[in-house]
Amino acid sequence: MEGAVYNSPNLEMTLPSSRLCLALCLCILFSQLSFATDWHDPVTQLAAKITGSTGPGVVGLEINNRSSISSADVEEIRRQLISTLATSGVRVWQPDQAAANIKLTLSENLQEYVWVAEIQAGASDAKVLLVSTPRTSFAVAVANAPAVTIRPTPLVSQTDPILDVAIAENNPPRIIVLGRTAVTIQEFANQHWSIVQTLAITSPTPLPRDARGRIFLRKDRLFDAYLPGLICHSTNSAPLAMSCAPSEDPWPLQAQGLSAFFSPARNFFPGALTPGIGKQNSAPPFYSAAAVPRANYSLWIFAGLDGQVHLLDGINQQVLGKVHWGSNLAAVHPTCRPDALVLADAADSEPAESIQAFEFADREPAPVSPKLPINGGITALWSTPSAESAIAVYKNSSTGNYEALQLTLDCGR
Amino acid sequence: MKRFNSLLIAAASLAWATSMTAATRPHYGGTLRVGVQTSAQTFDPTVSGTPGLRSLTQLVFETLVKLDDRGRPQPWLAASWQVEPGNQRWHFQMRNGVVFSDGIPVDASVAAASLRAANPDWKVFALGELVMIETSAPVPNLAAELSQPRNSISRRNQGALIGTGPFTVTQWDTTKQHLTLQANDEYWGGRPFTDSIEADLGKNDRDQLMLMDLGKSDLVEVAPEDIRRAQIGNRLLKASQPAELLALFFTREARSDDEIHLRNALALSIDSAALNTVVFQAAGEPTGALLPNWLSGYGFVYPAGSVATRPRAPHPVVWTLSCDSADPAARIAADRILLNAKDAGITLQIVNSDNADIRLIKMALPSADSETALDELARAFQLPAPTFADSSVSSLYSAETALLQTRRVIPIVYLRTAVAFRSNVRGLKLLPDGSWQLDNVWLSAETP
Repeated sequence: MEGAVYNSPNLEMTLPSSRLCLALCLCILFSQLSFATDWHDPVTQLAAKITGSTGPGVVGLEINNRSSISSADVEEIRRQLISTLATSGVRVWQPDQAAANIKLTLSENLQEYVWVAEIQAGASDAKVLLVSTPRTSFAVAVANAPAVTIRPTPLVSQTDPILDVAIAENNPPRIIVLGRTAVTIQEFANQHWSIVQTLAITSPTPLPRDARGRIFLRKDRLFDAYLPGLICHSTNSAPLAMSCAPSEDPWPLQAQGLSAFFSPARNFFPGALTPGIGKQNSAPPFYSAAAVPRANYSLWIFAGLDGQVHLLDGINQQVLGKVHWGSNLAAVHPTCRPDALVLADAADSEPAESIQAFEFADREPAPVSPKLPINGGITALWSTPSAESAIAVYKNSSTGNYEALQLTLDCGR
Repeated sequence: MKRFNSLLIAAASLAWATSMTAATRPHYGGTLRVGVQTSAQTFDPTVSGTPGLRSLTQLVFETLVKLDDRGRPQPWLAASWQVEPGNQRWHFQMRNGVVFSDGIPVDASVAAASLRAANPDWKVFALGELVMIETSAPVPNLAAELSQPRNSISRRNQGALIGTGPFTVTQWDTTKQHLTLQANDEYWGGRPFTDSIEADLGKNDRDQLMLMDLGKSDLVEVAPEDIRRAQIGNRLLKASQPAELLALFFTREARSDDEIHLRNALALSIDSAALNTVVFQAAGEPTGALLPNWLSGYGFVYPAGSVATRPRAPHPVVWTLSCDSADPAARIAADRILLNAKDAGITLQIVNSDNADIRLIKMALPSADSETALDELARAFQLPAPTFADSSVSSLYSAETALLQTRRVIPIVYLRTAVAFRSNVRGLKLLPDGSWQLDNVWLSAETP
């Protein structure tokens, strides 16, 4: 990490072209991840083992699939295997005319596909040959959509929990990832994100389970990171450094304006607000909040610990009894709409969840987008400081990795 | 099998139906009340056996390494490790900031002392923040082996065994078989969500399920043969992969080829499919392997006994057979095995003695790492230690085949383990080895 240099954020540089560049880079990156499974290596290994056992000649071949490999892939494996065996002089033909019969079972264990070839030649015991190849994982399913569409842009994937991500729109694109134990600065180059600097978080006490955190870009220094009972400030000049200290300072709920105190040993906001919403200085204990600006005030929406959705407008408090959202809310103000929308999560079937956009024309939410299915449990959903997008983090139930997405809203599709 | 699949689909549907609520973040607080079938005389990770007991001990005692969902070793009390060429010398870097529940820091010397006691054959010593392990022969899967409960890091404080886990033992009444665990506020991985866990051990699952229906228990271990009937009312159910081996174990080695042939005949005479369907209500999979197929990928290659393959013994033989008299299903299984054997010309006499020729035993899968599991099963069945030429599946297959060829063990059925729980129990996860991950469990308001 020695010699790593960080350019301080410059709001003047947040031009559409840089955003376009970032989006394009991300699209290229993730389109390259979705290639088909390559069976060449295990097929070649298996063909070599079979040839070594049977020698050139005619064999029968029966393939059974006990694995999660698709039937299309099974046919591809059959085609490749027959072709590879032929190059070694082993011809696949009718079993009753073959010198040896091969019963190939495509199986799997926790980590690998396991292919088992049982070769029966004459009356002797079957010979068992095995090859294995790592199992592949699957990407997030993305919904097609009409009206307002939630567009997920994958940002980063890692084994350690991700609490929040800040997008520093520089050239080259950089993101700042807040984890449980470190803040990492990552740079997009050569079609992938690379960590250019890691700043360790030092905490005198263990962070709570289901730890939460926020990271905000600053004008006077690169960023501030808020964690339960802890605040970390970065420096602004290279080499970048960070210092953390115990703190019960409130966390900003939006870039400028309302803040709320966070419980230092738990995973929620107890409800104390500063400076308050109009005449209201507190809300019921809550997990997350979103603001929908109105002409003369802001309507604040809270996901309460009691499982209810609470509305505060500076004078009145209201409970939305019929709304069953999850614990995560975030406001997004898309450039294509005059109003702010609220993103909320809901469990469809554990461990998968989904995110949907809602408008608040009056005091009742109405869905305006299809559900965006998420392949795992959502662990964080925060508005970006500009509120033009949101950051969602989920634990991918296929890979076990924590994955961060930037969620933007597209209109009229 | 079809019936059990339908059962699992029904279980999944029930779980899905009740999870159609919004996704809420975990809540802190409350007491989780757990029922475990097995009784125990000591709360010690080195003697834990069944998945239920193991699930409780690993809340208190932790290891340097932990296996993930796919059986891959992951850093735990050790932050990282390295192995020198030859796989005989390993260095484990201890994680900073870990303390025992009595506040004493865990350092390399304490960890080394724990591991030395559990592994007298290893040379274990501390070097600064490193734990060094040297073995007389290559042990390529040593990291996975360190995830075994017997390798837990612990220390004694006035006779009591102290661990580093997310819970501490506040009460352990061996007479009443009642255990109370308290959340460890200083746990390095973050305090658990529930304040405490109350566990009742040594009660059969039907009694425990009744307590659950009366609102006096939240989570209950269910015997494989009771999975189907456990699934009524407001109960939810999670079943593991097949993770408990029912097997015949010969108490002495075969002394001749003739004896091997007789044991082969016995193995092939057992109608394991019928045993699974009738006695265990299709809660398992017939097997001829030591490792379950989902762990090895090739277990189906070894033939399980069936009516179709039943051979005659080369000559009459009489063996005595014992089983766990406290396990009704095991007794019924023994009776069926006796009848199957008789058809093959083998006489089995059921006795109540440890000196029987054969024991019918249930053995929990010791690990979700295939090599470690085979190692531990070999140790438990008094088989020669398996040797692995490399880490390939072919090498694993060769090692397992060699163990099976001794015919000291006749695998019959791999059984699923299961837990029934109330709808307010959230975040429960069953690990591949059948144990339950309770440290992330939290309690919500119960859905009607």
